[in-house]
Amino acid sequence: MLALVARRLMTAVPTLLAIILASFFLMRLAPGGPFDGERPLPPETQAALQAAYGLDKPLWEQAWIYVSRLVQGDFGPSLVYRDFTVSELVAQGLPISLTLGGLAIILALFIGISAGLFAAVQAGKAADKAIMMFATVATALPTFVTGPALALFFGLWLGLLPVSGTGEGWSWLIMPVVALALPVSGAIAKLTRAGLATVLKQDHIRTAKARGLPETKILFKHGLRPALVPVASYLGPAAAGLLTGAVVVETVFGLPGLGRYFVQGALNRDYPLVLGVVTLYAALIILFNLFADLIYGWLDPRMREG
Amino acid sequence: MSIYEIRDMAIEIDGKQLVEGVNIAVEAGQCTAIIGASGSGKSLSCLTPFGLTPGVARGSITLDGIDLIQADAHQMRDARSRLTGFVFQQPLTALTPHLTIGAQLQEAAAQAGPPRSSRHELAQRLERVGLSRADERLDQFPHRLSGGERQRVMIAAAIAHEPKLLIADEPTSALDASLRGEIMALLDELRLERGLAMLLVSHDLASVEGHADQLIVMDQGRVVESGPTASLITKPQKEYTKRLMAASARLDEPAPQLQEVGDILLEAEAVAVTFPRPGWRRGKIKAVTDIGLHVREGEALAIVGGSGSGKSTLGKAIAGIGPLTSGTIRWQGQPLPERRARTVAMRALIQPVFQDPVASLDPQWKVRDIVAEPIKHLQPEILRKDRDAMVLKALEDVELGEDYLSRMPTSLSGGQAQRVAIARAIVASPRLLVLDEATSALDPLVGSSILQLLRKLQQTKNLSIIFITHDIASARRLCHRIVVLDEGAVVETGDMDLVIRNPQAVTTQKLIAAS
Repeated sequence: MLALVARRLMTAVPTLLAIILASFFLMRLAPGGPFDGERPLPPETQAALQAAYGLDKPLWEQAWIYVSRLVQGDFGPSLVYRDFTVSELVAQGLPISLTLGGLAIILALFIGISAGLFAAVQAGKAADKAIMMFATVATALPTFVTGPALALFFGLWLGLLPVSGTGEGWSWLIMPVVALALPVSGAIAKLTRAGLATVLKQDHIRTAKARGLPETKILFKHGLRPALVPVASYLGPAAAGLLTGAVVVETVFGLPGLGRYFVQGALNRDYPLVLGVVTLYAALIILFNLFADLIYGWLDPRMREG
Repeated sequence: MSIYEIRDMAIEIDGKQLVEGVNIAVEAGQCTAIIGASGSGKSLSCLTPFGLTPGVARGSITLDGIDLIQADAHQMRDARSRLTGFVFQQPLTALTPHLTIGAQLQEAAAQAGPPRSSRHELAQRLERVGLSRADERLDQFPHRLSGGERQRVMIAAAIAHEPKLLIADEPTSALDASLRGEIMALLDELRLERGLAMLLVSHDLASVEGHADQLIVMDQGRVVESGPTASLITKPQKEYTKRLMAASARLDEPAPQLQEVGDILLEAEAVAVTFPRPGWRRGKIKAVTDIGLHVREGEALAIVGGSGSGKSTLGKAIAGIGPLTSGTIRWQGQPLPERRARTVAMRALIQPVFQDPVASLDPQWKVRDIVAEPIKHLQPEILRKDRDAMVLKALEDVELGEDYLSRMPTSLSGGQAQRVAIARAIVASPRLLVLDEATSALDPLVGSSILQLLRKLQQTKNLSIIFITHDIASARRLCHRIVVLDEGAVVETGDMDLVIRNPQAVTTQKLIAAS
């Protein structure tokens, strides 16, 4: 177990480095720069700014400088929000995004697994078909449709929940989290049902039945854990989906999360800001995949080997 | 009064009657065995009364005074949990993968309602079924145990709640030949010690004859013949029973007449195969070390060993479909290069046939295309018209007709599928066939007909054969000589009958005892 963690963390470093370098050069390939406004700046001002931020140096050297600063924990200054460093901006946005994403994945797991379990038990009956249809719809609807629809219904018509911003208490979180969790919970429900359908046909379930155990015990003690293996492998990609999905949801609900800086940073060619957010996202996704692997090992001890 | 009695039972699944007129009786302390080919309804007859199949049983079934036909869900659970223990065929999959051995044994011991067993008691149960280091194993997950060890755990779990009836559905078929005897002996011992009534299901007559008091022979959902084992085996009344007896190869049957052999065709010298250890561990696994053997023209050579002995790895290396780390393989004196460097003409000389016939045929392809594929690759110059004729000829050689051409593999029985696989192997006129457990997955009747087919092919085509198996008795029906492997090395080799009459190595003695 520890060996797995150590090995994964070791491979994480080159992975991160590759992601950072790829984003660095791809971003520079895109036309435009951080100091292109509506009215062009005088050439000497441009040159002075470029020099001040080190953008006049050769690309390889800039990449080297960026990475070596990053190793020391310095994400560099923002080129557009000039009074802030990237670290400060990230520190503002990250807690909101993490809360949003974390709650969304918990909610999605809860809804998805319960719905999938119920559907598997009712296999072939009306409840099963209804749940699976609903799961398909939930998976297919993009957050930029469900988000505004929720806001319209619960916010504007019923007036129950705040439509925008981070107001008082926790009520502002409900709609963004639900909008974010819906597609993921649909996918998890389908995976859970399919997993259970496979596992419940297996020999060890017959052994459990032969012991005269009650159905619920067979389901939860012998069936559910191996059935969740596909769900665990989906968690890594799902986390990536939630982080990128958060960009849309944060915009729809006007939340000052990381997503906003990501989008604006990209539009403004705010190189250090975008790179900072990309690095952070990548690290989170790698971490989440590791987490998924650990869950994997718990679900099925055979995965712990090799 | 029998403890478990079935009278005139019929079983249907989805309105289709699969079993009828079955009578079974099991006495305390005795063993009744049901023998039959796959599809004969033997497992169905055993498991359906307990609601463990999708089937519905009718007739009269009583277990220790409980009427299982009338039983409601509660009584049925009681019959399963208190009165009966089950051992299934596949020890690899019959245990829950994410629960430790201890947890599963605890569940089994508590299924009839007694309080939790202590760790010491659980360890004792494992020791009783012959597992060493019992205490350590309680914390292990099933995948850490070998097949034989897992089957012992299954048996410990099946008797942990002191049932009156033990139902063992093919308890040894998935195990290594040398283990089968040990597991059957353990079941006998426990049966006598506890006065258990045992209902045993098997496709293999030889494996039950020394253990069962009563024998029931089933075919196509009906009982063919039943009676005390001794009288049934010495004086079978029905034609089917006689054929079944003749099909199971026995070492005491007369030696077959085999054809003359010619010059040395293939020679292997100092063959070794090593694999890197899985994961990040260092070192190599030596699957095969320093093996030398030869096969003559028209000769059949048996490579015999238990699982993990390296026999399949050796066969693959010779056939050029698996790695060869060092050593030379010569064909009529000329060295054959390693697998990727072999030319098309060299590949055509040696063709393989595998154990699981259904899995070795592409389920999306028609039989016509499956059999034609080797010609397309090995003899691309042959025209389509001639190719069709060759495919038809190969099918005729394996005694299948023209109507098989457009069948799909899923519609074939195991025996038919293996015939198609053999047709595919012989269609491009090879000189040597490498058969890896080619009859092991088949029922005895089907397996013996495949052996007959192989002998016929060998004679008509002067084929050489390498017959890889764990079953010496079957190998004897086909092979001139034998090579016995253990842990990747040759422990004994020689003329088939001489080795059987006077085995030197312990491995050989064990394999012969298990046949």
